[in-house]
Amino acid sequence: MADVTIFCFFASYTVAFALDVLRLKKPNRTTWMVSVGIAAAGFVAHTLFLLNSADKGREELLPPLLSSSQDWTLVLAWLVVGFHLFLTCCDRALSVGVFLFPLVLGLIGSSYFLADEPSQLLNAAESARRGWTMLHVSSLAIGSAGVLAGIVLSLMYLLQHRRLRQKGSSATGLKLPSLERLSRMNWWSVMVSVPLLTVGMGTGLVLLLSGSTGGRELSLGDPVVIINGISWLGLMGLFGWILLTPRATGKQLAWRTLLACGFLLVTVVGLNVLASRSPGFSGHASATPRGPHSGLVEAGDRS
Amino acid sequence: MNLQVIYCNHQTASLDIRERLAFTGEEQLADAYTQLRNRFPKSEAVVLSTCNRVELYTAQDNDAAAPTHDELAGFLSNFHGVPVEEFLGDLLQHSGSEAVGHLFRVCSSIDSMVLGEPQIVSQVKEAYRQAEANEACGPLTNALFQCAIRVSKRVRSETRLAEGRVSIASVAVGEFARGIFDRFDDKTVLVIGAGEMAEETLQYLQDDGVRDVLVVNRNPERARELAAEWGGHGFGMDRLAELLPGADVIVAATGADQPIVDVEMFSRARDGQRDRPVFVLDLGAPRDVAPEVAGLDDNVFLYDVDDLQETCERNRKSRSQEIVQALSIIENESERFMQDVYHRATGPIVKRLREQWSDVSQAEMDRLRSKLSHLGDDDIGQVEQTVARIVNKLLHPPLEALRDEARDGTPHGLLDALRRLFHIRD
Repeated sequence: MADVTIFCFFASYTVAFALDVLRLKKPNRTTWMVSVGIAAAGFVAHTLFLLNSADKGREELLPPLLSSSQDWTLVLAWLVVGFHLFLTCCDRALSVGVFLFPLVLGLIGSSYFLADEPSQLLNAAESARRGWTMLHVSSLAIGSAGVLAGIVLSLMYLLQHRRLRQKGSSATGLKLPSLERLSRMNWWSVMVSVPLLTVGMGTGLVLLLSGSTGGRELSLGDPVVIINGISWLGLMGLFGWILLTPRATGKQLAWRTLLACGFLLVTVVGLNVLASRSPGFSGHASATPRGPHSGLVEAGDRS
Repeated sequence: MNLQVIYCNHQTASLDIRERLAFTGEEQLADAYTQLRNRFPKSEAVVLSTCNRVELYTAQDNDAAAPTHDELAGFLSNFHGVPVEEFLGDLLQHSGSEAVGHLFRVCSSIDSMVLGEPQIVSQVKEAYRQAEANEACGPLTNALFQCAIRVSKRVRSETRLAEGRVSIASVAVGEFARGIFDRFDDKTVLVIGAGEMAEETLQYLQDDGVRDVLVVNRNPERARELAAEWGGHGFGMDRLAELLPGADVIVAATGADQPIVDVEMFSRARDGQRDRPVFVLDLGAPRDVAPEVAGLDDNVFLYDVDDLQETCERNRKSRSQEIVQALSIIENESERFMQDVYHRATGPIVKRLREQWSDVSQAEMDRLRSKLSHLGDDDIGQVEQTVARIVNKLLHPPLEALRDEARDGTPHGLLDALRRLFHIRD
């Protein structure tokens, strides 16, 4: 169990992705079963890896599974794979893997560039703040999973919409849910993820203002804080539009979700990677070599 | 004896051409039959015009009187005011056994967009009924169409062609509407037209859970009748514009020769709800919904019969085994029908020959009776039976030869020989 590496489940997901792509051309039950089997095997390996990380985290009195930026990204990928397995088992015909696996592989790939050391922020947190920190990182993780789901659902909606407008049959190639269902799922993904992200960012702000920053100098003018703030404002705009518009569905919702969530994803992941790989990135980096504070955890902290 | 068909269908011609060549309504058909009778007085004719095909069958006893392909194309051109060069390439022709096989395939739905669809049989029956009402058909077309209906029954009962999704509406809803909507029990369905196709569509939609059904028709009574059957509401065509905005699914299946839903009407219906998807299925040919409606906004999903081609082709491939079996039945039936037709062509000669020999034997018997007056009735009866047997035995070889020859076509040479040998006059 201790020998499980990131490569194990990364390779499993890559093969499952390739089989899902193959299924687009030649759909058959055997390919589906092999694909789901390999993805499930990867999911088990992924789970074991995270549990190992959690054990390591506990020794250092850190929240399980979320002790480092790398763990945090891997937890996010784990949630997405779980979502994929759930959807695939609910409807065998759906081609969800084609959309979700690239995200999963991207997240796991980016985790290579993120710090796997325990967060200084979490080290610095007193035991009384542990609950706040836990709420902060877990709401950000689930909220981010919702953002990813929003991106994928929007993409699926736009593809299905395009195909139907071009009179293409939905019985061949990509098997996608109906526009109505995609729109409804998209609506819920935004409804769930935005409040959770807000809670995550809000608690991060509380932690920041209460001084549990691991001795670093942070300010509201920090570029990372500003960019994350703008992304969050974009999502809040989308959230407000959905709440205020009686028929916030369809292509408009898909595009807006794609833009808002996509921007958030790109900026957050980009900032994480930059913060981890470039010690000089952002004003405080000198105090955080190789960015143990990086990731959405940190982004939330700074906002 | 000649049978032929010229036709264009969903495989050879686009909907644009088909709708221009279509015969819509009884008045237009009556006019067409009048013109056909005037142009080709010695020909029987049947016009079959559906959303997928326009076919003109002609038949005549005398091959020389048969209208040519160009003459029939010229008739279509003049009647519809469409230049010949615009559709000549889309027009196919069959004659003799090929024409018979074609009608059998059409009637058995092998040639339909949706394999196994049942509507074509009633469309063929209706086409023949119209021809009969307009006194355009005759014994040959009668035999042909009766046989086609019988063959279609045989194909449906002896193969599994009519199983599964077998209507255009079911294919369209299954392939496209299900890509748009998750469920139908909370949708409003508006059906324009109250014919067989509309009924078929309603049946399928209700199986899919539709509850709110609205039917509009030129005849409001008929609309109300049909709607009542499905627990819906029926209206006259004057309420169409008012009902359009509330509909999620619109199915148009009328025989109108002009679009019933134009861009202006639909645009007004979309005011204030352009973010709401609407599925429009136009099963009419000519089309009932102006094609430009699809461009009004991103949430209008308009499909006409030609948009279902790809799906129907897949449906066809998946049932290729059934097609092989059906084609085998059709081939046998076509052969048998043609033998009957050819045999029927020899009928007058055979009849004359029998009459002639019977007359000769009767005359000889009369002469014998007057010469041998002492013979009793029993003896005369015995002699008559003997003579009749001799006549039949003598006639048997030539008639057998005639029957054999008629298997492969009308035996013109043998018929001429018999006429000359036995001095038979037509």
